[in-house]
Amino acid sequence: MTAPIFEVKGLTKKFRGLTALSDVTFQVAPGEILGLIGPNGAGKTTLISLISGTLLPTAGEIHFEGRRIDGLPAFKRARLGIGRTFQVMKPFPGLSVLENVTVGALFGATEGQEKKRAKARELARELLEFTGLTRHAEQRADQLGGPDRKRLEFAKALALHPKLLLLDEVMAGLNHVEVDEVVALIRKIRDRKVTILVIEHVMKAIRNLSDRLLVIHHGQQIAQGKVDEVLADQRVVEAYLGKRRQ
Amino acid sequence: MQLFAQILVNGILLGGLYGLMALGMGLVWGVLNIVNLAHGALIMLGGYAVYYLYTKGGIDPFAALPIAMVLLFLFGYLLQRFLLNLIVRSAQLNTLLITFGLDVVFVYLAQLLFSADFRTINPPYAGSNIDVGGVTIPYAQLAAFLVAIFLAAILFLFLDRTRTGRAIRATAQNLTAARLYGVNPRRIYALTFGTGAALAGAAGGLYGVVSQITPYIGVTLTAKSFVIAILGGLDKPIGVILGGLLLGIAEAMTALYLDPTFTDIISFGLLVLVLVAKPAQILGRA
Amino acid sequence: MKNLQRAGLALLAVGLAAVPFVASDTLVQFGINALLVATLTQGWNIIGGFTGYPSFGNSVFYGLGTYGTAIAMAQLHLPFGVGLVAGGVLGVAFALLFGIPILRLRGPYFAIATLGLAAVMSAIVATIGFAGKNIGLILPLFRGDTLFYELSLVLLVAATGTVAWLARSRFGAGLVAIREDEDAAQVMGINTTMYKVGALALAAFFSSLAGGIHAYWITFIDPGSAFDPTLNVRMVIMTLFGGPGTIFGPVLGSFVLSAVSEVLASKVSTVASLFYGFVIVLAVVFMPKGLLDLFQGFRHSGFRYFAQNMRRFRL
Ligand SMILES: Nc1ncnc2c1ncn2[C@@H]1O[C@H](COP(=O)(O)OP(=O)(O)OP(=O)(O)O)[C@@H](O)[C@H]1O
Ligand SMILES: [Mg+2]
Repeated sequence: MTAPIFEVKGLTKKFRGLTALSDVTFQVAPGEILGLIGPNGAGKTTLISLISGTLLPTAGEIHFEGRRIDGLPAFKRARLGIGRTFQVMKPFPGLSVLENVTVGALFGATEGQEKKRAKARELARELLEFTGLTRHAEQRADQLGGPDRKRLEFAKALALHPKLLLLDEVMAGLNHVEVDEVVALIRKIRDRKVTILVIEHVMKAIRNLSDRLLVIHHGQQIAQGKVDEVLADQRVVEAYLGKRRQ
Repeated sequence: MQLFAQILVNGILLGGLYGLMALGMGLVWGVLNIVNLAHGALIMLGGYAVYYLYTKGGIDPFAALPIAMVLLFLFGYLLQRFLLNLIVRSAQLNTLLITFGLDVVFVYLAQLLFSADFRTINPPYAGSNIDVGGVTIPYAQLAAFLVAIFLAAILFLFLDRTRTGRAIRATAQNLTAARLYGVNPRRIYALTFGTGAALAGAAGGLYGVVSQITPYIGVTLTAKSFVIAILGGLDKPIGVILGGLLLGIAEAMTALYLDPTFTDIISFGLLVLVLVAKPAQILGRA
Repeated sequence: MKNLQRAGLALLAVGLAAVPFVASDTLVQFGINALLVATLTQGWNIIGGFTGYPSFGNSVFYGLGTYGTAIAMAQLHLPFGVGLVAGGVLGVAFALLFGIPILRLRGPYFAIATLGLAAVMSAIVATIGFAGKNIGLILPLFRGDTLFYELSLVLLVAATGTVAWLARSRFGAGLVAIREDEDAAQVMGINTTMYKVGALALAAFFSSLAGGIHAYWITFIDPGSAFDPTLNVRMVIMTLFGGPGTIFGPVLGSFVLSAVSEVLASKVSTVASLFYGFVIVLAVVFMPKGLLDLFQGFRHSGFRYFAQNMRRFRL
């Protein structure tokens, strides 16, 4: 395996009494898609928030491109090239779809950072094309339908030229056709040399997409490795018994 | 030592009242997610209601209290039903701005109707007191404190035991789920705001007995109610009363050991301290 | 079209600048007040309209500007120019010092902290001997309404120019993103803390200079009038009324409302304040985006515009 682009060591997060994440350790190779699964409340979103800097860890380390980043504020991590989507989507509701994406292009990772609005807008238009939002460019973000909102989350995260993209349940609530579209979109993104960590409950999609899987249950990391091996693991099956969403 | 005990008692008596003020604010905030910047103005209106019932109607202030509460309840109910319900679902910025506007309206309406003069509600027994081991306890203050505690207990029982109370709590937890159980949110919202206003009205009447009212007392009381509501926890009447006691004692101590003019400055210092020292929780909820 | 607009604006500025040479003294005095209030409103627009932080304490910056100038001139016998700088520095320094802890708070927490600050600031200043305790300070007398008028106009133009820059710059885009969703703004690479503090400092800068000009014009200041919390009412309502987050809305809103309240105040002063309160309430319900949006919306859908706004967020 090549040197990891991204590494988490002993990551732990406590919310007062509750331990949401405990001693999680894993590595991701450049260009890899790592699937992250686990029942509701397992701590998946918490993990993404710790990596993106929205939350600060109680213990543990996060390394990105050989640099320790767990003390950095969220905006610096974004500029290093870590993009994320939100499970509870967070568009800029009063701005147009185009403006939403332009913001990312104005402030994102150093290489793609476009200080001029006109330039940033151009880049944003490309991303709207890429995510299939062009015809909604001038619409207000809060007037978009569900699937288009998901696309907007993608476009916003991509606007900052991420090297690592963290996707939090981007397929929840979509129908089969839409799920297939999103899977194709994620593949296209990977082809742009972006490393991806994807949380998903839609098992078929995650099986199709992931190079490897990481399973979390009650904040504990219970399995990690090749997709089929992990899904056959006794503990994983138990964690999902009766809790399965599908 | 005796002086200390006296100050402690003064602080506790005042603190109970603060707690009552914060209860109404916390209830509305917790259930409707409206931080009512006009809460202090409602307290002020309650104070004037009791003042006029007493001076013009000859009704004993403590007997006038329930009347003032009913008036304020109706007022609050209508306000929510026909005005605030129009915007509760918009950005929180808007609810802050509109209640700020309401505050301005109430204050100047009061100034126009009642004049800017200081008013005190002065029943004949206002001056009398009992002496417990050298500590003087004024009857009026004691009665106000007991009424505040009594109302807090009633609120607790109302939310805990009655159907309506449970509906209110369910709404606070999850509006969509509450709707599924047949709760009519428009009515529940109006009821909740009305209850908050009634509590404010009671607090205002009692405040008029133990202190002075002018049209402008509201702002600092809003700020104090807010801090206490945070200190105590929105959905815990007992916590809120304790928070009120804490602030009351802190203010009484300041008045003694520093200077009475510093009391508001100290409570503002506490306000900032509370706000800034608990950022995790606060940010989590905002 | 762009050029036509620019020419129109330049003409408007020249017209406004000519006022003291043709108008009566009372009108010029009204003009000074209106220009200073419009500047305060524009300041509020930066932190409240663009950044979405509902400050009810900008009056504090105005008051600090007032006192900075007054102390420099009355106690230290420095010239007005130096006094104005002192006032500005005091206002901005306070915004930086106080802004860093307080801007970590969001929504109602921020609102209440500023509300509390505005309410106690005059009491705090009244304890400081150097600032003349609760008696206040008297500045050297200088008669020259024309000068004060032109100074106020320059300040308002500068404030409006700054807002126009915000509307097109990267910095301004960052502020708007913070207003729309601060968490999302953060993970898109915006240094939210620095941006918010920057916005507050800008607001403080213009507000305190307005205070400084007013201090020298009025020559007598005391804690009650310098830290008058009702100033906040005006800033908020004028921004809302004109159009928060726009360039000219706040200026338009404050001119219109200053004129209306001048008429009302000539009868009963309380009525003017009451009127402000009603306007805030009605504006939030019926025209949350202000006059400018109203003009457009009204042309488009007539009276239905109000109904649409009212329906949007109804429970
Ligand atoms: N800010 C917070 N404060 C307190 N507890 C929290 C907070 N955020 C999450 N939790 C708790 O931490 C645990 C893990 O939550 P998390 O959102 O990470 O789960 P998840 O795996 O993403 O679940 P889901 O599949 O439902 O999205 C849950 O028990 C949750 O209630
Ligand atoms: Mg989750």
